[in-house]
Amino acid sequence: MSRCKMFELFYALVPLKPWRGLLIRRHIEECPRCLAGLASREAAGSLLVQEREANIGRPLWTEVESALVEDSGGEMMKDRALQSSVMRRWGWAVATAFLVVLITGFLLLKDFRPEGTASAAAAPARFELEYVRVGGQPANAVVYQPQGSDMIIVWAAKRP
Amino acid sequence: MDEQELIAGCLRGSMEDFRMIVERYTPPAMALAMNILGNRDDAEDACQELFIQVYRHLKSYDKDRSFKNWVYTILYRRCLDHLKKRRRSAELVKKMGRETVLATPSNPGHSHPSRSLPSDLLEQLTAKERTALCLWANEGYTAQEISEVLRCSASTARVYLFQARKKIKTLLEQGHVSLQNV
Repeated sequence: MSRCKMFELFYALVPLKPWRGLLIRRHIEECPRCLAGLASREAAGSLLVQEREANIGRPLWTEVESALVEDSGGEMMKDRALQSSVMRRWGWAVATAFLVVLITGFLLLKDFRPEGTASAAAAPARFELEYVRVGGQPANAVVYQPQGSDMIIVWAAKRP
Repeated sequence: MDEQELIAGCLRGSMEDFRMIVERYTPPAMALAMNILGNRDDAEDACQELFIQVYRHLKSYDKDRSFKNWVYTILYRRCLDHLKKRRRSAELVKKMGRETVLATPSNPGHSHPSRSLPSDLLEQLTAKERTALCLWANEGYTAQEISEVLRCSASTARVYLFQARKKIKTLLEQGHVSLQNV
């Protein structure tokens, strides 16, 4: 009797679960007096909902199945969305790369002229004057192109 | 059909095997959920979520563990989530200064006129104690098995069970009205 009181005191004094668990295991579970202070399995079971009483009021399997199908559908949609997002991203990357190549090419080729092409050709070959008039009178004309330049200078002077 | 065979079938993608698992585990799962939540509608929701989670995570199930324990562990977590949700909703309603219209344990779902838990049992026992008590009384679980479901030590499970049994004994001795009405 005094032992039970002592255990109860220890139980109340130290609110630590491992300690209390030890006390329960060491004493309470084996002491008939202490066990009498606890509800029996049958008494507890009579208060609880039992399996046979837990009838489900709705078609659980149908709901679970449809949720799983939706879920797998959702997974597929997710996969598709992921794929399209990856494709979109790659599409943008390809388009950007193409644009960069295009701009770089343009910048590189802008000033590139192979030898013997138009700019290197002699000015008279590209520039032909049949006659030049200054003040209504025929004038002398000189065509001049500085070396390595696109600029063509046409000089016209009145004939003396 | 053997449980492990059903699980193997599910892992191969057989919905028929999974249906058999659902049908086999629905009554005990519903009983446990109702004992934790005290509300049929919430228990049904928890069970639905349970089976969806079971299907999704079946690959991670450790075959060395008891499948029933694994299922109960998931269910227990789902029930705790429901209780948290319910508490949050109640707080929100309280903040709004309105009378709560939530389905409380003392006001169980009306759709199915079946047995519900006595309100005193729900008020005085924590969710962990109710779970421990239900597993012990309905399933014959030991403290060790209860600890696997609650994810705690066996000592802690023992304490939950002890406290639950003590509280119930007190309630029974007091001959509480709501308990007598069961």
